Amino acid sequence: MLIVPCPNCGPRNAADLRYVGESRPRPDPNSASAKEWRAYLYERANPAGLLRETWYCRSGCRRYFTLERDTVTNEFTNPPTPVAKLGKRP
Amino acid sequence: MLTSTRTECGSVAELPAFESPVSRSFVSDAGASMEPRRPGAALTLHDVSVTTKIIVRAGPETVAGHQMDTPFGASRTEDGALVVGQRPDEWIILGPAAASRALIDGLDRSGHVSVIDHTHSRALFRLTGDEAASVLEKLCSLDWNDHMTPDGAAVSASVAKVTCDIVRNDLDGTRSYLISCDRSYGQYLFDAILDARHEFGVGAPADAAG
Repeated sequence: MLIVPCPNCGPRNAADLRYVGESRPRPDPNSASAKEWRAYLYERANPAGLLRETWYCRSGCRRYFTLERDTVTNEFTNPPTPVAKLGKRP
Repeated sequence: MLTSTRTECGSVAELPAFESPVSRSFVSDAGASMEPRRPGAALTLHDVSVTTKIIVRAGPETVAGHQMDTPFGASRTEDGALVVGQRPDEWIILGPAAASRALIDGLDRSGHVSVIDHTHSRALFRLTGDEAASVLEKLCSLDWNDHMTPDGAAVSASVAKVTCDIVRNDLDGTRSYLISCDRSYGQYLFDAILDARHEFGVGAPADAAG
């Protein structure tokens, strides 16, 4: 089971979240070529190593967030701490 | 089993009414309740769906956001209503039955604020008893220890694969949880909790057992 550190809810079972995919900057729609759009929509780096990815906390805070995960070891880099929980505002 | 599904040429008026413990609560203040059958057991499951449920979404800069005055993950009682910080910038107000108008009118809706009455679209159950946490542990992956979810804590999580909002709201020192979900899942969730808590002493309702 993969435990995903949600920045709002804390560590959660990955089944409670939705994996959105690799996190990459969106091209400027006014200047991007068709080739750049295609690469953005369909091409994935899929590295064996560190990868920035987007998750959606569908059963918890219903927020999107980005994390960096090692796809080989499933370890998250600098997992966030839910400081806002139980009144502890940042 | 009787259902509300329309079949063949039968008109809606001819079909028998669908009855469930969840939907019954909308026409009865009592709601459905499962009392412990085993002597010594002290765990109860009540359908309290008649409770007024108002969802407020407001930015931190709005008057409504300050009115809520409840941080994410916590809850407090005010004038008989329970204000729950369910998600960042989102609160649920649980009040007495048929109090929607009074609760909504008491909110300042100026600015970027959304106020929606979810009373009839959400089912709400109250699970009470010292072993209530043990029941939830069978259905949900969260940690229900006192240090993680003390009295007043609010979380959202998957319970029996249904996304639920859960508030710990102890009654006279007895552990108690308010569990709400979409009304269409209410019957299933009610049955799932009842099934999970069977080993702790609550039996099936008399009408269902027969």
